[in-house]
Amino acid sequence: MAEIATSWRPRSAWAGIAQPGSFGAKGKTGVVATLLDGFGLATLIAEPGAATSLSRAVEGRLGIALPEMPRIVSGGAHDAIWAGPDQWLLRAALRDGFQPLLDELAAHAAVSDQSDARAAFRLQGPRTRDLLAKGVMLDLHPSAFGVGETAVTSVAYLGVQLWRLADGPDGPVFEIMVARSMAGSFWSWFTAAAAEFGCRVADQD
Amino acid sequence: MSGQPFRLASGGLVDRSRPLSFSFDGRSYRGFAGDTLASALLANGVRLVGRSFKYHRPRGILSAGPEEPNALVELRSGARREPNTRATVVELFEGLDAASQNRWPSLAFDLLSINGLLSPALVAGFYYKTFMWPAAFWEKLYEPLIRRAAGLGRAAGLEDPDHYEKAFAFCDVLVIGGGPAGLAAALAAGRSGARVILCDEDFRLGGRLLAERREIDGKPAAEWLAATLTELESLPEVRIMPRTTVFGLYDHGIYGAVERVGDHLPEPAPHQPRQRGWRIHAKRAILAAGALERPIVFPGNDTPGVMLAGAARTYVNRYGALPGREAVLFTAGDDGWATARDIAAAGGRIAAIVDARGDSDPARKALADKLGARLFAGGAVEGTRGGRHLSSVTIRDASGATTAVDCDLLAVSNGWNPTLHLTSHQNGKPAWDDGLQCFVPGTLPAGLSVAGSAAGRFTLVQALEDGARLGREAAADGGLTPAPLDPVPATDPETTGLQPVWRVKGAKGKAFVDYQNDVTDKDVELAAREGFRPVEHLKRYTTLGMATDQGKTSNLSGLAIMAEQTGRTIPQTGTTTFRPPYTPVAIGALAGHHRGKQFRPVRLAPTHDWSREQGAVFVEAGPWLRAQYYPRPGENDWQATVDREVKAVRASVGLCDVSTLGKIDIQGADAAEFLERVYINGWKALPVGKARYGLMLREDGFVMDDGTTSRLGEHHFLMTTTTANAGKVMQHLEFCHQVLWPELDVRMVSVSEQWAQASIAGPKARETLRGVVDHEHDISNEAFPYLAARAVTVGGGIPARLFRISFSGELAYELAVPAAYGDAMMRALMQAGQPFGITPYGTEALGVMRIEKGHVAGNELNGQTTARDLGLGKMMSSKKDYIGRLMAGRPALIERDRPSFVGFKPVDPSQRLRAGAHFIGIGKAAVMENDEGYMTSVAHSPHLNHWIGLGLIRNGAGRIGERVRAYDPVRNGDIVVEICSPVFVDPEGDRLHG
Amino acid sequence: MRITCPHCGARDAQEFTYLGAADPQRPDGMAATEAAMTEYVYLRDNPAGSHRELWYHGAGCHVWLVVTRDTHTHAIASVEAARARKAGAAA
Repeated sequence: MAEIATSWRPRSAWAGIAQPGSFGAKGKTGVVATLLDGFGLATLIAEPGAATSLSRAVEGRLGIALPEMPRIVSGGAHDAIWAGPDQWLLRAALRDGFQPLLDELAAHAAVSDQSDARAAFRLQGPRTRDLLAKGVMLDLHPSAFGVGETAVTSVAYLGVQLWRLADGPDGPVFEIMVARSMAGSFWSWFTAAAAEFGCRVADQD
Repeated sequence: MSGQPFRLASGGLVDRSRPLSFSFDGRSYRGFAGDTLASALLANGVRLVGRSFKYHRPRGILSAGPEEPNALVELRSGARREPNTRATVVELFEGLDAASQNRWPSLAFDLLSINGLLSPALVAGFYYKTFMWPAAFWEKLYEPLIRRAAGLGRAAGLEDPDHYEKAFAFCDVLVIGGGPAGLAAALAAGRSGARVILCDEDFRLGGRLLAERREIDGKPAAEWLAATLTELESLPEVRIMPRTTVFGLYDHGIYGAVERVGDHLPEPAPHQPRQRGWRIHAKRAILAAGALERPIVFPGNDTPGVMLAGAARTYVNRYGALPGREAVLFTAGDDGWATARDIAAAGGRIAAIVDARGDSDPARKALADKLGARLFAGGAVEGTRGGRHLSSVTIRDASGATTAVDCDLLAVSNGWNPTLHLTSHQNGKPAWDDGLQCFVPGTLPAGLSVAGSAAGRFTLVQALEDGARLGREAAADGGLTPAPLDPVPATDPETTGLQPVWRVKGAKGKAFVDYQNDVTDKDVELAAREGFRPVEHLKRYTTLGMATDQGKTSNLSGLAIMAEQTGRTIPQTGTTTFRPPYTPVAIGALAGHHRGKQFRPVRLAPTHDWSREQGAVFVEAGPWLRAQYYPRPGENDWQATVDREVKAVRASVGLCDVSTLGKIDIQGADAAEFLERVYINGWKALPVGKARYGLMLREDGFVMDDGTTSRLGEHHFLMTTTTANAGKVMQHLEFCHQVLWPELDVRMVSVSEQWAQASIAGPKARETLRGVVDHEHDISNEAFPYLAARAVTVGGGIPARLFRISFSGELAYELAVPAAYGDAMMRALMQAGQPFGITPYGTEALGVMRIEKGHVAGNELNGQTTARDLGLGKMMSSKKDYIGRLMAGRPALIERDRPSFVGFKPVDPSQRLRAGAHFIGIGKAAVMENDEGYMTSVAHSPHLNHWIGLGLIRNGAGRIGERVRAYDPVRNGDIVVEICSPVFVDPEGDRLHG
Repeated sequence: MRITCPHCGARDAQEFTYLGAADPQRPDGMAATEAAMTEYVYLRDNPAGSHRELWYHGAGCHVWLVVTRDTHTHAIASVEAARARKAGAAA
């Protein structure tokens, strides 16, 4: 029997689903999808009536206050993303030091690690909104969905959370997170929807 | 390849520099870019395009738009073959291949046209009256006969090779229709800065402007049209969507539309969908859908060559195709005269003009003279000749004398009906306008206004006026500052005099009301005589207004004749309530990407690829694909595989993914209290670091779900749910918290996706785990006893959770690691278990082992069982309230004779048990009254080497040892089984605690 | 249909799950009679017109909402969090 490798290497949520390269219409890049990996993610739920003190604790530690509206607040290596009333996702660019941070915050909130629970990617390119219009049942016109806004919604019958980052050279930039187990179904929709615009898939830098 | 004998030398909007070849019924023809199939057929002199539904009468092209009832053709071939497409809206493309329908063996010679001779038998209600008896004849004789005779087109019968998609749009102002009213509205709204979507079902914008010779501002209307389109295209927030039909109006400003992205191409362009179904959210919408012309009901009005006058004009002016060289006009109003004028201008001859109005207007007389046409004022057409191609019409003049006039085209004009369908989609009733003699929009749905002809404002100047005004208003409603109102441009004069003729009476022959369904005026009379007078009964009895055209050309005539028959007015007789869709919509456009394997999302466990490598066969479990079993070479069937997997677990150790179980993180000061209220058993005393089996009920007292919940901290629990109920349980818990007990401090979030989880089961489970769990964690039997649940680390510091719980009855653990390590965990366990012959097992083996142990699962938690039924009544706490407690105590739910949960074994051990078999007393008849319950789960137990079953039988627990029949008529099963304890293996639990 | 979630904004009805009338209050199971619980579990009015009903924003913020909807026209008069209503009632 062949020897089975036993290295405990983490596997990306996109492994076996999406890989760097191009697909769809030739000679055009209407959409660029950057696969995100290696981030830390946790749900924070404030104790009843204690959202403010939680926000202060996060601000004291990371310099970002928790948004009261559906928005993302970014600072340095962390983002605080509204995820429901009194509920946030805290995202760290890297896993290092994330667990100690969560342990600290557990004094102020119900903390649940979700670092491996989502597949995430960033979308940009001139046809980004046209692409998203094929699945997102929300008005993403710049006048209706501003920079820093987030929404928990569904795309192609899959739960997603998306938010808008600062515009890039080709206009709006979005990040989207989908449940890890549904990344394959999501990608099936995405590739079908993006093909006509021409899509480049990249790993994050 | 033939020429185009009826194509005008010049004029029209077809591109003569781009000839296209196409075929109809196997014959090749040529047309031009910009043609429809109908216009190209007419240009080639093809008049006969189909056979009618019931009588197989020859039919030609009646209209030039979506209302077409006759010219339905099959388009394309092979998998792309599409039946019942309207030739009048099919955009011509190179190589288009169309075929007529409903004829055999050929269009010109159709054997079933004999139905026309049998027509006295085929009147309204014919099917209901004729095919009633004997009942047995229906399936074998009547239905196949009717289906062969009466079908229209043939479906492809193959999988659609094209892709469809859905899309969502948002705007301030949606303009429906790109004619003069819609263009003016879009322009006014767009100039005000509104986000505008302008949809038109046509491939070219302009509406009737394309079909008429009109002037705006003293110049040809085409110039205004071009300038308007140029300006609209320059406005960044205006989106123009041709080939897009807004087919439905729904609640809260939502409109359904279908964009035919690739229908005008031989096949969709690479990476493009064939069609795109849009859901458009509009703050305001303007319906500018124009109007549909009405035919006149007279004998022979279906002969190919009889055409709506407005359509004839469209073919001449827009397509440069002459629908006939010798035309007769039969009109009830002023509008038809434009057709005579335009045909004459294009070089056709006007043989006669029959104006049903008795007054003799000198201007009309002068025009008839100028056109060289005989004028029959106060006359009527009462017959046609020619069969497959109109050759003459019989005209009855005002004095009653009849004259035959040779012609190859009869243009018919009876006024127009506003295309108000969408105003009716939210139950709005159209209102009768006695002055206009048509229905106009009644109460409008919120956010919708109606402009131009769709509102019964039929003149060009009214269309321009309405559009400009309503476009501004809509923008202002959206909070924008409307652009200044430009003066409405002047147009050339037009008159709209009309005295509609609902039918020509007193002549012989079939006069069609509904062409598509072959409903004649006589059928409407019959319906009236037989009492089917309300308009909805009329429709159902005669089929008037059904099928692809939904009565666009027939509803009003039918209503008018019913009114005449019953001595009522048209509004007293009824109205038509239109429902979506306005025109047929392909299912593909509604489904979009979601068909076949993409019908719904599929969830894959983090260990999925590993399972696939191991050769797993997967099974759908709710949205999940789970490994069902892992066949190995030499195993003949799944049974052999499953037996091997079960034996391996019971003898040594097995490995199974359980990541799909729902996992809910429950925290907060009142977390334990919350669990007390949602589970039937107690939770406050559960020590930290321990797991407990929990059962929850619905409020009606029946079991909802079960699972193991562990206490990770004083105020921190991890609940697991069954795979199938994870979402439902989460929703239920949120309900309990937010709606019932918001005062509790309990904070929940699903962590199902975060953890990969595996079950390691069998006598060698601990030894296997020892090779994976980091060494500082003591997992000995003493330190980590049954139901222990604690955080550990694996792989040198990776956080993990270990639970000593068992579904199989063996010594077993569940190990959870962050999902990214799921794949690595399986490989590590395989390596650690290699010395013991560790065996991956799937849901089948899992099922066998739980049946051997008498554990309930989905088959028993079926929404009809109580905790007591399942033998779990002892878990029900009497010290506290919990969801379902009171209702579970209802007398009928606690009576002794309820079916309750027990085991079953065949008396003859060689016999196979079947799930679903019903229990009947031995010697009793297999009838409902003797039904005592049924088998819920069965398995072949490799341990016992015979089949075992679990089931629900009346007073089961009190009947251990008794024998009953397990009766399974579906699979011819009828065997004797013995009622036994549901625990077949290790009833003392020695293995579990080992 | 669109429902304006007080937390997430206007959303397609597809994101929500309907439960039923919002006003029946669950009796205390230890104190209530079987009749009272039966009424709570099974008996509902079916008004033609204004109806206060529970909707769960399962594809969004997971909040249970009380939606006041006209069953004739589907016009929605108000949407509030069920939790807020209960807190208000207790105050």
